[in-house]
Amino acid sequence: MTRWVGAPLPRKEDARLLGGRGLYVDDVARPGLLHAAMLRSPHAHARIVAIDAAAAARRPGVHAVLTGADAAAVSRPIRPLIPTPVPLPDWCLAVDRVRYAGEAVAAVAAVDRATAEDALEQIRVEYEPLPAVVDPEAALRADSPLLYPELGTNVLWHDVFEYGDVAGAFARADGVLGERFGIQRYASTPLETFGAIAEHDAGLDTYTFWTNDQRPGLTLAILADSLGVPQSRLRLVTPDVGGAFGNKRRPAYLLVCALLARRAARPVKYLEDRLENLAALMHACNGVMDLELAYRADGTVLALRVRDVADEGKNLVSPTQHNLIKLGNIVNGYGIAAVSYEAYSVLTTKCPSGANRGIGKPFMCFAVERAMALLARRLGLDPAELRLRNYVGTGQMPYTTPPGAQYDSGDYAGTLRRALDRFDYPAAREAQARARREGRLLGIGIATSVEPAGTNLASYELVTGRRAASGSAEAAMVRVEPDGRVRASLGDPASGQGYETVVAQIVADELGVTPDDVHVERGFDSATTPWLYLSGNYSNKFSVTDVGAVLGAARAVRDKIRRIAAHRLEASAEDIELVDAVARVRGAPGRGVAMREIARTAYADVLGLPPGEPPGLEARHAYQNALAQPVGADRTVRSQLVFSNAAHCCLVEIDPRTGQVKIVRHVVVHDCGRELNPRLVEGMVHGSTVHGMGAALLEEFRYDADGQLLSATFMDYLKPTALDVPDIEVDRLEHPSPFTPLGAKGVGEGGAIPAPAAVANAVEDALAAYDVTVRSLPITPEQLWRWLVASKEAR
Amino acid sequence: MSVNGRGVERTVSPRRSLADFLREDLGLTGTHVGCEHGVCGACTVLVDDQTARSCLLFAAQLHDARVVTVEGLTPPEGLSALQAAFRDCHALQCGFCTPGMLAAAHELLAENADPTRDEIRDAIAGNLCMCTGYVNIVRAIELAARRLGASAAAVGAQGGAAPAPPRRE
Repeated sequence: MTRWVGAPLPRKEDARLLGGRGLYVDDVARPGLLHAAMLRSPHAHARIVAIDAAAAARRPGVHAVLTGADAAAVSRPIRPLIPTPVPLPDWCLAVDRVRYAGEAVAAVAAVDRATAEDALEQIRVEYEPLPAVVDPEAALRADSPLLYPELGTNVLWHDVFEYGDVAGAFARADGVLGERFGIQRYASTPLETFGAIAEHDAGLDTYTFWTNDQRPGLTLAILADSLGVPQSRLRLVTPDVGGAFGNKRRPAYLLVCALLARRAARPVKYLEDRLENLAALMHACNGVMDLELAYRADGTVLALRVRDVADEGKNLVSPTQHNLIKLGNIVNGYGIAAVSYEAYSVLTTKCPSGANRGIGKPFMCFAVERAMALLARRLGLDPAELRLRNYVGTGQMPYTTPPGAQYDSGDYAGTLRRALDRFDYPAAREAQARARREGRLLGIGIATSVEPAGTNLASYELVTGRRAASGSAEAAMVRVEPDGRVRASLGDPASGQGYETVVAQIVADELGVTPDDVHVERGFDSATTPWLYLSGNYSNKFSVTDVGAVLGAARAVRDKIRRIAAHRLEASAEDIELVDAVARVRGAPGRGVAMREIARTAYADVLGLPPGEPPGLEARHAYQNALAQPVGADRTVRSQLVFSNAAHCCLVEIDPRTGQVKIVRHVVVHDCGRELNPRLVEGMVHGSTVHGMGAALLEEFRYDADGQLLSATFMDYLKPTALDVPDIEVDRLEHPSPFTPLGAKGVGEGGAIPAPAAVANAVEDALAAYDVTVRSLPITPEQLWRWLVASKEAR
Repeated sequence: MSVNGRGVERTVSPRRSLADFLREDLGLTGTHVGCEHGVCGACTVLVDDQTARSCLLFAAQLHDARVVTVEGLTPPEGLSALQAAFRDCHALQCGFCTPGMLAAAHELLAENADPTRDEIRDAIAGNLCMCTGYVNIVRAIELAARRLGASAAAVGAQGGAAPAPPRRE
């Protein structure tokens, strides 16, 4: 029975967060807490000749100093998620060489942050500058400066995948559309920066970490490995997290805190400031994509050929993921039968690339949806009509793409039709024509996309040739306390998604209580939360794995309640139903036992349990989604598991005097299957869409040729404000996934994937008279002005 | 100075920011620090009824000032009308920007009981939210204005005092 799942309940989290009573990592107080600051490289690429930190260590208030050489002496390099072809040691502080401006070379722990920062100024570092390599295409060249001479190249991975008869399709085609697209570096920049506290208990030789790291399972493995400490002596706690979006990961900072804490024999906190956050935490991978579509004259796309260069920056933790994560879905929502995909994963002297809302897919969607817009133009077809001719149809679901992703459910054409309807597309085209006659620059952009959820780590076997981790799973706990009240916890620490509310809704339905009766633990605590290496807040995975973990635990407890009640009531367990916190006999509502009484029996009056039933009323459950499978012999793999989809229609107006793009309307129709809490789903769609708008119009981490970051503050790196975005109009379809426990699909990334393409298509449409092709983002006023000037000169 | 209606007297180092003073010296951790260069608005508090970036003020500047933080905007029990509207409209996700947003919205509604949507967007344009896309924040402030207007009208109809500035529910 689902009384609560699907209800648009307000959130349990809100009362504390609205009252300023949340607990974020910077709010965690520990006795004797020291504050760390990090000295960072001013050079993009340099050899560290010498570091002298003696003066800093002598300063009053300074308790510990750590250089890269110190760290290398007492810890091991960070174990990569995806191993590189030859081992490339990556310590928590730079050793011998820095490879991006902002890379940390030394750290100080002092009585307060100001004292620590003052001490940094006393550390003398002698650098021997080396040439930077900023452009990924330049980094591919044989004469490029090398980040790791021992690797002999900057290329971490190069491969070509071919599925179906690509050459035949190109030979048969009526035409080929080829274009080169680029995507810039940007980031979701959660408002709370990354932070950590480490505490070493010298008596027990245990370490406790408080952090907003969003992937605790993986991070615990790295910490144990690098510190040389058994995992049984580590504890990691995640309190409230002020947004994450993939960016909140940096095990190196936890290690620095741990080493400083051990040295100082005091707990140590490090919290990035915003400049460090923008320069050094994580950027969405920039890249270049050469794309060719082979098509028939009627607009049917027969094949897709892609060369995809991913700029990893100095990312040794998870290189290649930016390529691999696109491979399965590179055809977007279209039934393209043949695919060739060439991947380059290349190092440059820039901030490490990493996960960012939608990881890789915004670029996939930008390139494919831009190409579809250009093809429509070339063929004189309406861009909506061209898409409708190419979608995977409802009758084909579940549909396997040539590289092996399975699109499980959905009505892609129906989603676009609903969006066109909501947008009043014909009327919008008429209004646009009128405006054009008045000399105004109005543009309409359409973009549609798939939105994958859940990651299957087995897919990395395509890169490394061996399987280190695989599958897609999460763990949860449900416990009825001795007083009959319910507690739950989950290995996936939320960062604003409202899991405390949604988990309570799921558990309430299973146990016949209300969400108010269910206390869901905030965040994560490795000492009490069930967890796996795969645990964490990533990859849009809640619907794919987390729901199954919660359901499994709740159902195990439910079944035990029914057995205990059946024993008490002399009924069959199958006939017991849980309603209003009472276990009662179906059809005889008068015969029942209160949950509270069952709990008392389970914990206190254990002689009242059925024979053989162990005491207690608690279950832990780990759930593995069966969709995740090993790599196939034909190099196909389901690297991501469950697919939502969305259609965006965007109306922009451009001011030709200023180059300003105003988004006048933005309609989103999405389908994330069953909506567990529609209120939270809609909020996620709004926020995610605005991330895409920021990427389309404002945000770019821009480097100069020397590898210096030019947009390193929120004055230069512009985020959307309330004045930059419209009231986003949201509608939905609901095609439940047959492959998730409650039919839900991912919803966290769906706006961020198509929004950049929708805005870009609208801008290009607005500039139709100027013959502009949008090949890269962001579309800043400066960029627009350059296009307009170039167009005038061309005439 | 007074903080949330209570007198506070401390000796502070000249470089102590108001944000650090509130968070570390007074333990008022509801005020969040997001950028420390005056752009993001997370640290916004009310100083003498006007919004101010607590990361850009020194505590020592505020001799005799009246400072109100999110803790001071929160009734001892339950939520204010504005906070309740934020909850009812799902106007927060991670909650990190929320205290600053509440301060900005509070100032707006104190000056303009019936703001238009554009006025609301303008009033919160100095506060970044990375989660909501602002849509529901705008709706929440509209709803709060409506509810406060309705309750003020009800008080007026009963011959009560003039409409009070938005305080507590």
